[in-house]
Amino acid sequence: MKPVNHSGVIVRTTLIATSVAAVLLAACAAAPLKPDGAAEVRSKLTELQADPNLASRAPLAIKEADTAVRAAEQPQADKELGVHRVYLADRKVQTARALAETRFAEDQRGALSAQRESSRLDARTREVDVAKNQADVAKNQAAAAHEAAASSEQEAAELQRQIDVLQAKVTDRGVIVTLGDVLFESGRAELREGSAGNLNKLVAFLDKYPDRVVAIEGYTDSVGSEDYNQALSQRRADSVRSYLVRQGISSGRLTASGMGKADPVASNESASGRQQNRRVAVIINNPPTASR
Amino acid sequence: MNATSHAHRRALARTAVGVLMLAASAAFVGCASTPPAPTASLQAAQLAISNAEAADASRYSGEELGAARTKLASADTAVKEQRMIIAERFAEESRADAELASAKTTAAKAKAVNDEMKRSTNTLIEEMQRAGDKS
Repeated sequence: MKPVNHSGVIVRTTLIATSVAAVLLAACAAAPLKPDGAAEVRSKLTELQADPNLASRAPLAIKEADTAVRAAEQPQADKELGVHRVYLADRKVQTARALAETRFAEDQRGALSAQRESSRLDARTREVDVAKNQADVAKNQAAAAHEAAASSEQEAAELQRQIDVLQAKVTDRGVIVTLGDVLFESGRAELREGSAGNLNKLVAFLDKYPDRVVAIEGYTDSVGSEDYNQALSQRRADSVRSYLVRQGISSGRLTASGMGKADPVASNESASGRQQNRRVAVIINNPPTASR
Repeated sequence: MNATSHAHRRALARTAVGVLMLAASAAFVGCASTPPAPTASLQAAQLAISNAEAADASRYSGEELGAARTKLASADTAVKEQRMIIAERFAEESRADAELASAKTTAAKAKAVNDEMKRSTNTLIEEMQRAGDKS
């Protein structure tokens, strides 16, 4: 035999071997691989296993599902059996998921009821706070009202005290302070030296209640002519007004008028009666915005 | 050499007879008995369906429960037709359907409970905010 022939045999043998291998390979390729749908079921299972909320919550069911998926993945010559196994695996994966979801929901309940409890507590705390605030507001209002009442009471008491000091009379027109004729020399309108004390009490009062306007009215007894008495009473009223202005009372608050022998407060028949009739009345009007 | 060859031939014949007998008996067994009805699988499917029905699966997972019933009926038909392998597969699928129906039902109920809890908590919070706005 020639070496060439020998090598030809080898080539032929190799060719045969290759084709046999190819046939074998083809047989392998044609052999049933994983059934249809197995990959989808596997990915569903993988998804479930990767879910941190679910993976650990149905270990037994997931294990069963895994076994079923592995069976479904077996290459299967019987196509119907393959479909059957894929179907079972799919149902088992779904069942495992549902069981894990159930368990997850149950595990969440503790947190949910704690949440509800805390909201309930918040609501109660809030109600209590609201009630407390309302009570506080009411209390403050009551206190303020009490204080206001107390202070107005105090004011009223103070006014009364001042009125008492002036020996004044409270009438509907206002507070009337009657200054007797001791202020004046007989027949004259100038204030006597010693009359300042009495008038200064009036000044103090007017300073204290600056919103009150004052009417100064001069009166005489029935002795003498009407004109004379009218004029004298006017001059005496003016005299008092001037004094008050000099003491700093705004002239705008003061009116002076002579009333003559009108409105006697006592009988002109007796000396003491006539003395009472010779007077200057200072009427301190109630404030225009009287709160009562 | 002759004796040896003879003995060898006898051994071969014995083996062949053994193999033939085995094959024959296997074939005989295969032919003679139709596979028995998949009673256990059928019962398991029926039980799973009953459980699902008891859990009110018709309300929460009607589709799966319906599939389970249909497949159990198909399994019974297959048994009557002596197609036992098919019957067993139907029975197994029916059971898987029914078990899924039960699991889905349980999950739906569990979620409903949680949703109700969340709802009542939210209602509480809303009421609180309304009350807060008022004051």
